[in-house]
Amino acid sequence: MTVRQAGAVRQPDLRKQKTGFVAYIRKYWFLYMLVLPGFVFMAVFDYGPMYGIQLAFKKYSPKAGVWASQWIGLDNFRRMVGDPSFIRAFKNTIIINIYHLIFGFSFNVFLALMLNELKLRKYKSVMQTCVYLPYFLSWVIFSGLVQVFLESPGTADSGGLVNQLIAMAGGEPIDFLKRPELFRGILVISNIIKSSGYSTIVYLAAIAGIDPALYESAAIDGANRRDALIHITFPRILPSVVIMLILQLSGLFLSNFDQVYNLYNNYVLSTGDVLSTYIYRISLGGGGTDFELSTAMNLIMNVMGLIVVGITNRYVSRLDVQGIF
Amino acid sequence: MTAGSKEKPSRVSMLQRFGFNFYDVFVFAFVTLFALLCVYPMWYVLVASVTPYSEFVKGGLMLWPTGGIDFQYYHAIFTTRSFINSMWISASKTVLSTVASVLVTAAMAYGVSKTHVKGMKIINALVVFNLFFSGGLIPQYMLYKDLGLIRSYWVMVLPGVLNITYFIIMRNYYSYSVPKSLEEAALLDGCTEVGTFFRIVTPVSRSMLAAIALFIAVLNWNDYYSYMMFIGNKTNLQPFAWILRRMLVDQTMMNQVRKGAMSLGSQPPPPMALRMSTIICAMVPIMCVYPFLQRYFTSGITLGAVKE
Repeated sequence: MTVRQAGAVRQPDLRKQKTGFVAYIRKYWFLYMLVLPGFVFMAVFDYGPMYGIQLAFKKYSPKAGVWASQWIGLDNFRRMVGDPSFIRAFKNTIIINIYHLIFGFSFNVFLALMLNELKLRKYKSVMQTCVYLPYFLSWVIFSGLVQVFLESPGTADSGGLVNQLIAMAGGEPIDFLKRPELFRGILVISNIIKSSGYSTIVYLAAIAGIDPALYESAAIDGANRRDALIHITFPRILPSVVIMLILQLSGLFLSNFDQVYNLYNNYVLSTGDVLSTYIYRISLGGGGTDFELSTAMNLIMNVMGLIVVGITNRYVSRLDVQGIF
Repeated sequence: MTAGSKEKPSRVSMLQRFGFNFYDVFVFAFVTLFALLCVYPMWYVLVASVTPYSEFVKGGLMLWPTGGIDFQYYHAIFTTRSFINSMWISASKTVLSTVASVLVTAAMAYGVSKTHVKGMKIINALVVFNLFFSGGLIPQYMLYKDLGLIRSYWVMVLPGVLNITYFIIMRNYYSYSVPKSLEEAALLDGCTEVGTFFRIVTPVSRSMLAAIALFIAVLNWNDYYSYMMFIGNKTNLQPFAWILRRMLVDQTMMNQVRKGAMSLGSQPPPPMALRMSTIICAMVPIMCVYPFLQRYFTSGITLGAVKE
């Protein structure tokens, strides 16, 4: 369809346009055929659901269905703004993301630099194998690990390893996963252990591209390895760091459903409930059926996310790297 | 053996000059500690899962199995029927969606990478837009209901066939990493577009395709989301990842497994120990493909990230 329109604009002569169009399709039919299946899947499963967005402005009645439900204007959004749980989840999402940004992100960069500074090639590759590994385990498994380690002592056992160590040091056992003030820390640390290693790959690739002559001349000028790290390696990977930073910023309103959903519980909702888990709980999970409110929240989240992405992508394209578009 | 001695001969002299010092010790200690932090939990769980319970309750670091090796927890797990069934569901859905996903996504990415062809830029923008804007959970639910996918096996396979993240990576790979001259030469020599794709481009990008297939497979193996959201409570369709969740996170399946083990004539195994052995069972398939993953994934991620 788009092709026909594009042709029509350029060639006003009807007869010529038709033969031009047919010839064009003939020439590139194979490429269009390759795109077709993906296009169909995209149309059905990515754009298909979008008609449901109207629910955000409607009062859903299961009998009437999506189309015939009654329009109620912005009522759902008014309800949303007045919902303290929503405000809480919204705040938590942003705070947790900022924590990830401050601690997780800088740790990734630091880890990449440190891995690169390892002298022994064999040892470096062994270390890389170790730090990449947790990324491939699902959050379910990982959350199982976190629980096993942080378990508080029960009647029959002495609790998880961390509490055993605390007991050995003479401290009181802590029920880590039920303490709201500790939950965000657990999210950040478990995320670092799971995905920091993997995040270094981009930086290590950038470091591999640095001209070795730079280090040589720095060494001649009397720089030691720490100087070289600060004045050569770091500035050289700065573009990659900025891109990753911008990409992460663009997810400011998104939350890692998989991680939070597998780690949180009713005790830590005050600090741990994020938008995606809240949206799930009020609609499909936890017995809620507030489909309209859930859709409205999703819409707001998406629109805000899109605005942030739009702003950040302009900065990305200004740098000398390809943006995502 | 100095770092980068093959690629960066110039650094050797520098390293020799400064030798081994406090800085190196710090780097070494930092990386080693973090690597241990990544790997030790798995080792701990592996050792704990084969340690008899009487030894396990004593606590400790579990650096090595003490008191003999005991597979009773694994036995309890593998005699639970829903485990075996869920493994089949997971395996079949992983194979189906991975094959479909790689074929559809790669074909589309190749087509769209030819930006000089009319319409491709628009299609590209349409795909990428979805990365940031989607209908959301409920609209998806409504659509699947209309399509009759709710509570069906196919809801775990079809919606994810076009993978947008890997679409972008593949598109960049085809645009920047497959040498343009190669394709042009083939076309000049009288090879058709079809022939160029199947006989030139596909063999050249084989390792990229393998890497991405592995990534998508791991993604699908770990997926429980589609079951949880759109199927819910059909026990014969439970994927393994969901069983895992029920064992490890909310522990709704713990009693079932413990009772099953009791009927075999033994003591009911303690939940903690069962969790450990479940974690190990879940890790085995990933560990099996990990060496291949690792071989490819460095290229898998960075391909398309660097402009030529």
